[in-house]
Amino acid sequence: MPDFLPTWPPVTNSFTLFGLLLLAGLIGGWIAARTRVLPSITGYIAIGFILGPGVLGLLNEEALRDTRIFADISLGLVVFELGRRLDLQWARHDRWLLPSGLAESLLSFCAMFALLRYFDIAPLEAAVAATVGVATAPAVVLLVAAELKAEGPVTRRALWHVALNNIIAMLGVTLLLPFIEVGDAGSAWSPTGRALWLVAGSFLLGYAAFWVARLLARFIGKSDAPQFILVVGMIVLTVGVAQMGRLSVLLALLVFGVAARNFDPNHRLIDIRFGHAARLFFVVLFVLTGATLRPEQFGPIAWIGLALVLVRLLGKAFALYLFAWPARISAQQAATLSLALTPMAGLAIGITQPIYDVAPDFGARLAAIVASGIAILHVIGPIATRYALVASGEGEQDARD
Amino acid sequence: MAPLEFKHSEALTIGVELELQLVNTSDFNLAPDADDLLRRAAGDWHAGELKPELTQSMIEINSGVHERYETLLAELRTTRDRLASHARQMNVAIAGGGTHPFQKWRDRKIYPTERFLTVSKKYGFLAKQFTVFGQHVHIGCASADDAIYLNHALIRYLPHFIALAASSPFYQGVDTAFDSSRLSIVNTFPLAGTMPFVADWRAFNQYFQTMYEFGIVKSMKDFYWDVRPKPEFGTVEIRVCDTPLTVDRAAQIAAYAQALSRWLWAERVDWVNPELYLVHSYNRFQAARHGLAGTLVDHATRTPIGIAEDIQHTLRELFPHAVDLASTNALEAVLAIARGEGNDAAWLRKTFAEKTTLPDVVREQAARWMQ
Repeated sequence: MPDFLPTWPPVTNSFTLFGLLLLAGLIGGWIAARTRVLPSITGYIAIGFILGPGVLGLLNEEALRDTRIFADISLGLVVFELGRRLDLQWARHDRWLLPSGLAESLLSFCAMFALLRYFDIAPLEAAVAATVGVATAPAVVLLVAAELKAEGPVTRRALWHVALNNIIAMLGVTLLLPFIEVGDAGSAWSPTGRALWLVAGSFLLGYAAFWVARLLARFIGKSDAPQFILVVGMIVLTVGVAQMGRLSVLLALLVFGVAARNFDPNHRLIDIRFGHAARLFFVVLFVLTGATLRPEQFGPIAWIGLALVLVRLLGKAFALYLFAWPARISAQQAATLSLALTPMAGLAIGITQPIYDVAPDFGARLAAIVASGIAILHVIGPIATRYALVASGEGEQDARD
Repeated sequence: MAPLEFKHSEALTIGVELELQLVNTSDFNLAPDADDLLRRAAGDWHAGELKPELTQSMIEINSGVHERYETLLAELRTTRDRLASHARQMNVAIAGGGTHPFQKWRDRKIYPTERFLTVSKKYGFLAKQFTVFGQHVHIGCASADDAIYLNHALIRYLPHFIALAASSPFYQGVDTAFDSSRLSIVNTFPLAGTMPFVADWRAFNQYFQTMYEFGIVKSMKDFYWDVRPKPEFGTVEIRVCDTPLTVDRAAQIAAYAQALSRWLWAERVDWVNPELYLVHSYNRFQAARHGLAGTLVDHATRTPIGIAEDIQHTLRELFPHAVDLASTNALEAVLAIARGEGNDAAWLRKTFAEKTTLPDVVREQAARWMQ
């Protein structure tokens, strides 16, 4: 065969994979949209599940690794955007906001911890799993809200709670880190040192990213296009540096976002909406998320997962109802708000990454505990959020952006 | 249909309606939070009224009836402080201004009351485009015929009100070159314009009956006139003002209307004739387009005069009345605007020049309203 011809069978690369993931997601999203009750995300996840190792096996583990970078970029965008929604001034004016956020996290933690203990899961594992479960999936809530063009008190509060419960989960896992026995991959550094490095380093990185972005913004001015490039550039750079420094991508970008919202007195960084460009990455993110699901997670063990999902929801709902009256939230708002917080961030977002770094065995056991809960939430989470935002009157049933 | 009955009210009492914008605090676009704000405020409302408006990012405050400017101002400030406190708890902001500088009308959601849904069905896209924010000033009239006289005479001075209150230079993301772009949006409605030149209340009632029989109107609410009699309240209502950026200015403009009405009733001017209406659209355009720098044509003397200059001339006549009405402070403030301090449209343009983006302008205008 002449050497100018491609090899046979042809070898795929990241580009073909990225393109195919996008197109597959597009079709999944289109089918979901036709139902008028499912969000597009559910379509992306379903198509990923079907193409993934769990069903057809068209997306194998290697392919998943190749496209991981796109998922990381999209998570970076999401988490930054989320940080921008955490207006610290709001907590000052509504003094029940922070207590209700803390209570929502604490009660859902207690509920999940108690349940896991009931199923004889070891205390430390139960504590870590319950801490991970506190976080609501930011990408799901942001994307469903964007798709429905949802805006209003419930959406605004939901995003604030998501930002807070992600920070709490992240810090919580880091605090528990020293108690986890160091496994083979653990370095000579003590877990305490590692936890400190993780938190302090990520905070510093996020703040440094903000500082540099703000400095550059001073020169480029406030036009949309240059600011868009600036922010996306800084986000991707921060993702990269966080990975290089073995820091938390999640925490660094949350800090970057929160600082951009709260510590920019002259408002040099304008509020960029990522729009269609970011959508590309989100489609890939959710198709890949779908591909991580396995049919057996929906099998007989799923009822532990389902129970976990239920007590988590009850914990959040109870806390939000408890604070509804002093916070002057209506009962209907508290109900839709609780439901909107249903999606669980799970393992994809990197909250558990430091655990894998310290103790891979522990990480694997943890994954086994929460995997079915997360799998179930990948199915019902986006639908619950969509239902909540439509029921609150803030999302448009037929909006398609 | 029975003839309209003009309710008696105390002459020269004043009241205002202000339509306000609700904006979010991230990108400062309009926020559909009227329902939540009304719900939160429902428990602690005493004077006046708080109402929804056509789309979900608008609310309207109606003041009580006042004899004096000072008490009106005090009430408006209290209302503002209360609303601002609720808004802060909701993480939204409230702003004055005749238009939101960059909202897109297609994104607006109609507030779901029967009346607003009917308006939306009747007017199509005009309804959503009507997400603009005005101040209405009511002046109490002792009799219906007094109201008809005042309604005609005020036509001569509407450019003053337009120019003093103008606060909508930006619309749909562009500088319109108008000081009040809002006024052009009101024009598109079929029943916008002015009351016909009727001699008295009896003649007005005949006109209304005819329009009713045509099936064109069902109530006075259907007339979107620049100034109209409001028989249910016993007032004349001036409707050309943009919502100013502060409640203080809203009260000053109401005080100007009060003193002007007192003077017009005292003088019983002899120039109320159909020619008033020949120059009105031209004068109105001048005020909306150029604000205080515009020129109006005085139909009585048949000469053009600068609007800022005409306001200053008028104020000279009004000050003695303002002394009796205890509103000289307000008129001093109006004089300062006409003498060069400039209207809110000028302030908005200056802020845009400094801040360079429209979201920043909204941030500043909300900060100004909420103080």
